[in-house]
Amino acid sequence: MRSDARLLREARTDPGAFRELYERYARRVHGFHLRRTRDPDAAHDLTAETFAQAWLARTRFRDEAGGSAGPWLYGIARHVLLASVRKQALERSATERLGVFDRLDREPSEAQPDESWLDGLDEALGDLPDGQRKAIELRVVADLAYDDVAERLGTTPRAARVRVSRGLAALRERITNPLEATR
Amino acid sequence: MTESTPLLAALGDALEASAAADLASSRARLPRRRSRRLVALVAVAAAAVVSGASFAAVELTSNEEVAASLPAGSLWLAGTEPSCTTVTQDVEYHCVLGKAPANAISDWKGTVEPTVDATKHVNGGCRSLASDGREWECYLGQAAVDQQIVSAGFLGQEVTGPGVG
Repeated sequence: MRSDARLLREARTDPGAFRELYERYARRVHGFHLRRTRDPDAAHDLTAETFAQAWLARTRFRDEAGGSAGPWLYGIARHVLLASVRKQALERSATERLGVFDRLDREPSEAQPDESWLDGLDEALGDLPDGQRKAIELRVVADLAYDDVAERLGTTPRAARVRVSRGLAALRERITNPLEATR
Repeated sequence: MTESTPLLAALGDALEASAAADLASSRARLPRRRSRRLVALVAVAAAAVVSGASFAAVELTSNEEVAASLPAGSLWLAGTEPSCTTVTQDVEYHCVLGKAPANAISDWKGTVEPTVDATKHVNGGCRSLASDGREWECYLGQAAVDQQIVSAGFLGQEVTGPGVG
């Protein structure tokens, strides 16, 4: 299977390679936006913008995660979300430039972004102990295998799995019951 | 996610079609870009118009054409009578100057200069291998970009004459 990094290299001249990358990450990026917005239409449009920006920026991708484009795509998704909330309108600069919605049989969402979309976006993760935070970033955000997570953390796969598990449990606690968690 | 799957598939189709159209329009825009860049290039580089030099309007592939592209790209190399040999056809050439370049630069080694083809478009660039500036390794097209001699944006630009900086 071709790595994400290879797909992005090939995508410089091959839209089909970019489509393959999209197939790998579309649901996860959409899930990221849906969890934040709780609005399927808005999540769809933010996903469109995320991948449209990825297309326009594909030549700037640097492989810093063992061939995975996961961290890079989530970085773009996060930027798209933040930009939308800041200007209180869904970010559409890349989709408009590429004419993506002209090729879709649906109208763009008229959702109104608000600050609640950013609730817990970074704070919960940032509050975790350093080892757990890094383990989650590598495993969940970068989508690395536990062997790779362990190698980057300088520990064993089993220990890496424990850190991720404990970190996720702590995250769930912080997100579902933030006041309790900060006591 | 089952409900969203058809929507995501349709979005994938739209993105792929948009990407293909973007690629096609990028290729079509290239000549216009050159014209816009030309204005800025003339302003900032104060390039001099080459008079008396004439080149055959053919693809730049021969050693002689590569040799001619050196003084066409850099005023410092005017009158240096370069001669080139092919290292890799259409990619890399080794060039030696019959006469030393202008002594405006005390140590030429490592300096880079763009090259300009017969149609007055930047077609690559060269890096000096010697302090006296008489030996150069030259690269055409993307190879010059990969060697960080010229930028991707500068490659292919139209110029009115050799640069001086």
